[in-house]
Amino acid sequence: MSDVEEQQKNREFKTDDDFDTEFFKRIENRSNIMKCIQCGTCTASCESGRWTALKTRSIVRKVVLGDLSVLDDPDIWLCTTCYQCYERCPRDVKPTDVIMELRNYATKRGNISPNHRAVVGYLKNFGHAVPINDEVRKRRVELGLEELPPTAFKYKQEGDDKDLKKIEKYMFDLPPVKEEKKGEEK
Amino acid sequence: MVKEHTFAFFLGCIMPNRYPAIEKATKFVMEKLGYEILEMERATCCPAPGVFRSFNKFDWMVAGARNLCIAEQLDADILTVCNGCFGTLQEINKHLKENEEHRIQVNEKLKLLGDYEFKGIIDVRHVAEVLGYEVGPWGIEDHIVRKLNLKAAIHYGCHFLKPTRIREIESSEGPTIIEDFVEALGIESVRFKEQLTCCGAGGGVKAYSGDASMTIFGEKMKNIDEVKPDIILDICPFCHLQFETGQDYLNKNKECNYDYPVFHLSQVLAYCMGMDVDFIGLQYQMMGRDFIFGGEDVKKEEAI
Ligand code: SF4
Ligand code: SF4
Repeated sequence: MSDVEEQQKNREFKTDDDFDTEFFKRIENRSNIMKCIQCGTCTASCESGRWTALKTRSIVRKVVLGDLSVLDDPDIWLCTTCYQCYERCPRDVKPTDVIMELRNYATKRGNISPNHRAVVGYLKNFGHAVPINDEVRKRRVELGLEELPPTAFKYKQEGDDKDLKKIEKYMFDLPPVKEEKKGEEK
Repeated sequence: MVKEHTFAFFLGCIMPNRYPAIEKATKFVMEKLGYEILEMERATCCPAPGVFRSFNKFDWMVAGARNLCIAEQLDADILTVCNGCFGTLQEINKHLKENEEHRIQVNEKLKLLGDYEFKGIIDVRHVAEVLGYEVGPWGIEDHIVRKLNLKAAIHYGCHFLKPTRIREIESSEGPTIIEDFVEALGIESVRFKEQLTCCGAGGGVKAYSGDASMTIFGEKMKNIDEVKPDIILDICPFCHLQFETGQDYLNKNKECNYDYPVFHLSQVLAYCMGMDVDFIGLQYQMMGRDFIFGGEDVKKEEAI
């Protein structure tokens, strides 16, 4: 086999199965992705991409092409939602919103990091993404504030957990942890 | 019509559960300025725009609408002190007022959570915007008992102004609302490189990849350190947390030696309006604990 043939054999090609032009129709309805001219203003403005692997322009392109691999791409989770691309895109593509929608699809596939899973758990248990701790309880009292803020968690502490029970039951259902992904991310 | 000079105080998570001094200061300031502050009982996380919107945008809208309904029942506009809470609640409020289809869907699901129905009768405000545009630098002078003399690196954060067409406050490329306001307190804003970039915490990145978050933040700190401000001034408890824990991280892991005190706008203003310095809460923070505000007492001419 010649070198070229060898290279060809080992190279990974995307096949039709990797694309589904219908898949992102819902994003298309909301975000003008078809107007993207691949100018790269989004990537140039990206405050995360300057230091990380996130390439906003290429993510938008993949969505336009229906390249489903973008849903497994960890880079979509590196967007800080700074909205710089959203402000500057000359075609009003709203890349920030596109990435947020992609994350919704990725989440449905079970692509959600353990840390993010934990945050959802906090909301369901405490009503807060960042729950209170003993130290801060003490400080609140020293400051002359109520030991617990009057949020849903305080009522749960007092034995009235009807709010948080409902939130737990009806909100932010996540798919089970993906088997092959287990232990892969830190 | 919602009640005038009254706010439903939306606490969120990081302020009441990590930096309660900001809560104390905000209440102090707003009440001194003649606003009535109402508690929002049974409120939850806004929910945070970076994480929860990423997981399920519809549920994010529903949970946000639930919080909005609590304020609607109080007949008062919401006051937030956090860019994240502001981002979530302002955006959902505006969207549901405009989009009937989504309003119906959200109201349908809200029934599962209790006696809630989104009506669209209130607005969502950020304390920096209320202070900057409603009270104004012109109006704060009369309320100040101490005037500072210091230089601040002002950090706007992302979601206070952006997306500009949803927030409709001011341009995000060269804002001055905070600078103009704090000038009246004797604070000079020192410009630094890339001043308006993100602190690196948002979008769920701090939880997803601490490394990426700290790389972005490290650059921010490098640029701030170049101009050697006396304090870092923010308007968001999440940025506040990033500036606090981030400096500590960089000192421990990246051979940095930062010790800049970090204050939320409410904390600085509360000091200028005469709040006991112990309530400003610097003693509970990690950075710049030796910092002393100083400043001069403002002599008031007796009113006739
Ligand atoms: S800035 Fe807008 S038009 Fe340009 S590449 Fe990015 S998404 Fe496409
Ligand atoms: S919103 Fe996200 S993708 Fe857009 S510039 Fe900011 S970090 Fe980059």
